[in-house]
Amino acid sequence: MNVAEMLAAARSAGRRYLCEDEVKEILQRVGVPVTPCYLARSEEEAVARAIEVGYPVVLKVRSPLIAHKSDSGGVVLNLANGYQVRRAYRQIMDRVKGVDPEAAVTVQPMASPGREVIVGFTVDRQFGPVLMCGFGGIFAEVLGDVSFRLVPVEPDMARDMVRSLRGYRLLAGYRGIPPADEGALVDILVKVSGLAAAFPQIQEMDLNPVVVYERGALVLDARAVLAD
Amino acid sequence: MPARKQDVLDSIFYPHSVAVIGVTGSSDRVGYNLLQSIIHAGFQGRIYPVHPRLESLQGLPVYRSLEEIPEPVDLAVIGVNQLATLEVVEQCGRKGVKGVVCIAGGYKEMGEEGKALEERLVAAARQYEMEVVGPNTLGLINTRANLNVTFYPMQLPRGKVSFVTQSGGVGLTILHKAVDEGLGINKWVGVGNRSTLEISDYLEYLARDDSTAVIGVFVEGTDDARRLVQVAGEVARHKPVVFYKVGRSGAVSHAALTHTGSMAGSYQVYRQVLQQFGLLVVDSTLEMVAACKALAMAPIPRGNGVGVVTHTAGPSIVLLDEISLRGGVFPALAGSTMGRIKEVLGQNPPVVLKNPLDAAGQGMQAANLGPLMEAVLDDPCIDILVAVYCLHLNWRCPTVEILDARERSGKPVVALYISTGEKVKEERELLHSRDIPVYTTPEEAAWGVSALLHYALQRGGIRR
Repeated sequence: MNVAEMLAAARSAGRRYLCEDEVKEILQRVGVPVTPCYLARSEEEAVARAIEVGYPVVLKVRSPLIAHKSDSGGVVLNLANGYQVRRAYRQIMDRVKGVDPEAAVTVQPMASPGREVIVGFTVDRQFGPVLMCGFGGIFAEVLGDVSFRLVPVEPDMARDMVRSLRGYRLLAGYRGIPPADEGALVDILVKVSGLAAAFPQIQEMDLNPVVVYERGALVLDARAVLAD
Repeated sequence: MPARKQDVLDSIFYPHSVAVIGVTGSSDRVGYNLLQSIIHAGFQGRIYPVHPRLESLQGLPVYRSLEEIPEPVDLAVIGVNQLATLEVVEQCGRKGVKGVVCIAGGYKEMGEEGKALEERLVAAARQYEMEVVGPNTLGLINTRANLNVTFYPMQLPRGKVSFVTQSGGVGLTILHKAVDEGLGINKWVGVGNRSTLEISDYLEYLARDDSTAVIGVFVEGTDDARRLVQVAGEVARHKPVVFYKVGRSGAVSHAALTHTGSMAGSYQVYRQVLQQFGLLVVDSTLEMVAACKALAMAPIPRGNGVGVVTHTAGPSIVLLDEISLRGGVFPALAGSTMGRIKEVLGQNPPVVLKNPLDAAGQGMQAANLGPLMEAVLDDPCIDILVAVYCLHLNWRCPTVEILDARERSGKPVVALYISTGEKVKEERELLHSRDIPVYTTPEEAAWGVSALLHYALQRGGIRR
């Protein structure tokens, strides 16, 4: 299935959101680095996936009905062994069963820490697709340190977007902390701009957080909303 | 822009004949004032008031209908209610009128019923290839043609700045403030509901209008913002455009489902996208006028290095603050500049010699400020000078010195005369006539300077 077919299938199933694993699949196809994301529908499956991925792992609820996983208690980080995975699986199922008894989980490797940003796009009512880059990952909304550009965004403009952030100095290197890989972030921005331009079927997309390392960057979580 | 639209806009802004529909004998009514505005502004073309029963109004013969008018009509201004307007637009079409100004509200801003009415209005206009200013507008002004097609009779000084505003009231705010600032107006239009003419259409028209040197735009929101910024960005490459977008506090109107969606409140997107296209964005009507004034009067500096000469530190700190926030820099003065300053102030003056240069007590005498301004203007890193003086009952303003310094250096100069506008009227007129904008508050002077710096950098000026 190509991306357009994936989107059409989700839409015809009456869905409004794409789940994390689906968005990551799309991102991977255009060359955006993501943490792998394996589906599990039982405790046993979760443990098997965790062994494949290698500890420590993260468990996240996977449901087309749940857009904000953390808010519903659907994310458990840093699980070191099979016992913890099983317990986390049961906790998550317990918390979300009221919303979606059919929910599954995804098992993902625990990523190492880095500088967190948010990348996304939205189809603005007045402007059409607009790309966003912001500081602070999951705290982006609190910080409000974001920049917007009309899609399409070329590499020079993407760099300008990153550098216009108040928090740019944290990326550029600060107090002996070496600079983060700005080029890797710019590359993600340009590729997400490409997705926004190519797929008007997607109304909004969040890559959040995106962790920028000294070398490379990695999308840890993502979600998307389909257009009406 | 299609040639037809361009021609129609020409007929709207430079009509040979104007019909006024909905005139009455009572000055309480809009129709009376529409007619008076046209007469009062000194319009030289033919004016045709239309009313089914009246014989004459304000010294002009009244025609019973559009058909009775003995010649073609370029522009019709319609002051009747929204339902009657529709019928009049039809009549205008049959008469061969090129453009109509529809004053009445009650269209798409009023929900479904109004929206349907506006669709019929647009259909009628399209059928006869007419363009509509409005509906729901205060109208338009073109001082070049002594034309005031609003229901606010007034006479505005002529100038080089044109405004497009999405509100009549904000339009008037800007126009009155501009007049207070000694800034002449070229054209103004209230776009109203933008039924057949979008903000971008007016921008394209003004871009080609040789008598307009600077364009100010006030936006609440538009349907086709992408086209607007693209057109405006294109216009701004050769003619400065200043945008004021209202709505900083606005809550997001749609229920956002992602973080990106919830942070993309239209104001922030608007502001940054306008900047992406190289446009100057301001935050108030005052800043709009201050920016347009500088851009209309002073030449664009070759870089963003600002020098200040003052006899009072406080206002220069405000200048520094406001200009720095907007991308200007205050370069350190060269050794040779310092040498010349010391020749005026002495080897060990009781002031710190730096930029902004505060000459304190010695600067209160205009004669001392002259050589100081010349020294700072000659500094290789200074691209524009702000001369600051507080009006005094006994001491004269350094107007002559400013003019001389400007003449010698050729670099742009902005004057901040701390005063009421009225008290420096004559000096202001003199300085304005020599490309030197005069402001009375440090903020407005800073906004003017910043506008010049913005377009200096947009045009490849030196980033100091």
